[in-house]
Amino acid sequence: MKRAKAVVALLMASAMLLGMTGCGSSDGNAVNTGTSAGDSAQADGSDVSGTASSSDLNIMLETPVESLDPQLATDGTSFEVIADYTDGLMQMDADGQAVEAVAERYEVSEDGLTYTFHIREDAVWSNGTPVTAADFVFAWQRAVDPAVASEYAYMLSDIGQIKNAAEIIAGEKDKSELGVTALDDSTLQVELNVPVSYFLSLMYFPTFYPVNEAFFNSCADTFATSPETTLSNGAFLLDAYEPAATTFHLTKNEDYYNADNVKLAGLNYQVIQDSQQALMSYQTGALDTTLVNGEQVDQVKDDPEFKTIGAGYLWYVSPNIAAVPELANLNVRLAFTMAINREAITGDVLKDGSLPTYTAVPMQFAAGPDGSDYSADQSRYSDVCAYDAAKAAEYWNAGLAELGIAELTLDMVVDADDAPQKVAQVLKEQWETTLPGLTVNLVVEPKKQRVEDMQNGNFQLGLTRWGPDYADPMTYLGMWITDNSNNYGLWSNAEYDAIIDECTTGDLCTDAKGRWARLYDAEKLVMDDAVIFPLYTQCNAEMLSSKVTGIEFHPVALNRVYKNAVKTE
Amino acid sequence: MPENRTKVFYFCAVFSIKMNEGDTSVAKYTLKRVITALFTLLAILLVLFILMQLMPGSPFNDEKLNEDQRAALYTKYGLDQPVTVQFIKYVGNMFRGDLGVSYNISKNTPISQLIQTRLPISISIGFYAVLIGAVLGLLLGLIAALKHNTIWDSLATVISVIGVSVPSYVFALALSYNFGFKLGWFPMLFSPNDIFKSSVLPSISLSMFTMASIARFTRSEMLEVLGSDYMLLAESKGISGFALIFRHALRNALIPIITVLAPLIVDLMTGSLVVEKIFAIPGVGSLLVNAIQSNDYNVVISLSFIYSAMYIIIMLVVDILYGIIDPRIRLAGKGGD
Repeated sequence: MKRAKAVVALLMASAMLLGMTGCGSSDGNAVNTGTSAGDSAQADGSDVSGTASSSDLNIMLETPVESLDPQLATDGTSFEVIADYTDGLMQMDADGQAVEAVAERYEVSEDGLTYTFHIREDAVWSNGTPVTAADFVFAWQRAVDPAVASEYAYMLSDIGQIKNAAEIIAGEKDKSELGVTALDDSTLQVELNVPVSYFLSLMYFPTFYPVNEAFFNSCADTFATSPETTLSNGAFLLDAYEPAATTFHLTKNEDYYNADNVKLAGLNYQVIQDSQQALMSYQTGALDTTLVNGEQVDQVKDDPEFKTIGAGYLWYVSPNIAAVPELANLNVRLAFTMAINREAITGDVLKDGSLPTYTAVPMQFAAGPDGSDYSADQSRYSDVCAYDAAKAAEYWNAGLAELGIAELTLDMVVDADDAPQKVAQVLKEQWETTLPGLTVNLVVEPKKQRVEDMQNGNFQLGLTRWGPDYADPMTYLGMWITDNSNNYGLWSNAEYDAIIDECTTGDLCTDAKGRWARLYDAEKLVMDDAVIFPLYTQCNAEMLSSKVTGIEFHPVALNRVYKNAVKTE
Repeated sequence: MPENRTKVFYFCAVFSIKMNEGDTSVAKYTLKRVITALFTLLAILLVLFILMQLMPGSPFNDEKLNEDQRAALYTKYGLDQPVTVQFIKYVGNMFRGDLGVSYNISKNTPISQLIQTRLPISISIGFYAVLIGAVLGLLLGLIAALKHNTIWDSLATVISVIGVSVPSYVFALALSYNFGFKLGWFPMLFSPNDIFKSSVLPSISLSMFTMASIARFTRSEMLEVLGSDYMLLAESKGISGFALIFRHALRNALIPIITVLAPLIVDLMTGSLVVEKIFAIPGVGSLLVNAIQSNDYNVVISLSFIYSAMYIIIMLVVDILYGIIDPRIRLAGKGGD
């Protein structure tokens, strides 16, 4: 009896604790809706297990998707997922060349100013409506609409040179005046201000993907935030997704015009921010591919499934030429860049396959008229860039003498992320060892703050990076023209500006070979003047299951393309 | 969950019966606390809003943005208007249940939608952790107190010292490696397909601190109560065994324990950043950190506000519970008059 009472008393005590937490929840409104949403999430979850099959590809992501709205998305993860279920006019082949996708063919006018795309008849949205030229017109007008404020609007104006795009973005013209017209349901005509040699390669960039107007309007403000508010015209269909989800799923789209060639049953994405957990999950077979960080490379580098894949990013140090008198001295800048041992950075610190880089345009993303990599020759500017401690010291002493100083202390702003901090630490050591009298203080900031400081000119040295937006060296060289917002050091050179102008809007637009040669002239000016100190072309270290073949990796626009991938059991 | 709800209803029913017993002082006391809580929340919102304005940087400083684009984004989200206008609009929208949209961690997504799916996950894992921690902690503390100065007492002390001093992510990594990777008993990563099973490891990792704190408090409070005069009186009246311990000793020892537990509950239910990261849990902890890092003002304000609201609600419940458990607290004010 006494024991029974005791049990009751214990239960009461726990019930009190339970009641307390329970009541706390039932009082809060948000929590209440939350509980029911939790139940439905569970229901969604069982849906996922229903569609997931053994031949789903299990993919690890480092960061969640920021947006599935093709005109608002700006990050590589979002682009990759949008492209899983959306096709643009063109797509990338395995080598990164633009080939037809929704457009079955196209014509370019002789002057290079008018593109006419013919849309294939069997291209349909997943709600059954055909993909039409009007879908592209609607999407592109959204991209330049100031009310939408698309961050990648400049892909249509500055980069794509579509007629009236710049004026619409600036609010001077109405979006209906954009130089893109649906001649009929299957014919899209695009007018450009000047010939753009890489225009076709822009067509696989998600900002240019179509959006069905009627469907968009039916979603009100929730477009592209759930499977119900996305439409697919691509290889896969989104069937489980929530904004900023850590897991989501796509399944093969049977209505895709090229469905016969899609071998995977679906794509299963898992966001994992902890790299050790990611690698262990890969080792248990839960993932088919995962990223590996520099510290883990030693652990897995002999595994045949270990791969390094070019990511296109150029990492470099930007000296503030305009605001720091010492850095305005060319000898000082040359001393800095020649004192950097880039091999040591990539080989001893990063260890992820990143390539030491001695050019202002990184390697392996832009192929020229003859098909070769623009930056294949890394010795082109070695006289002003390659590691040479003795020469660096010579330049340094000459610089200090010109400035009339014996010592110099500079701050370098660095992102608060792992890799940049390590790289910055090594740079500091290399500089301080090779250049006597130099002290470099590292200022570690969150990336957003670091970018803002550099854009405002509030820095002395800055470690930064740039990813290519399109497969042309101009995505890098365009930055160093006078007053470009990414020309952080405010370098200005009239000759350089003239060359870039000549290559973007001038006579060289239609002369691919001549343009290519002139771009090297421009790059030489940047390198000779040590406008930036290039460090390395970023590579990602990955594990890729030997059961999987056919994933296409690209440094530009779409980093990973899965529609041709095959997974064997 | 339904089980939990029954308990809530049970509790609320007991509570309302108590209130209807003609004891208006509980009602008055409660009303006073609720009004204070509402004003506190409004004040918190104002402070949060001012803090956001003072935070360095802007939500839109991606390196690919130029001045015009940034201006367009400011206009789009109304950030170009005076701060007072922004605040009044924000409060107005909030009363309509509109928390605004995310600027960059999930572009243009209504925050209510973002939180809706994540908060329940953090809350349920936190709830399991509190449950495991509180029950085990109470038991451990009771054993330690009742078997004072024995090997059991020392063992309980060692366990609590470990629980308090070892951070939850160490437990998380150890559990994940051994029970997830090596033995494969539980999933290493959170999976919406199997919420219960994948909550086990994170809940246990998070419960250790609570368990240890509760055990320590229960032990010391029980020891104090057990040595008090009224316990001697109760014992001399012939009450003995479990009744003595649970009705007289534990009830008196609970008050300080509940005080300790309340902030722990909020802590656990609002999600742990590191444990969420390790187990890839789509909770609110990681959301807040991402939002702070990318200056996503609306998300930061909304989440901080929800945290504050939860904290205040739980404190409110605790205050009311005090009144029920120990009438001296609610009557103390009266006595002073």
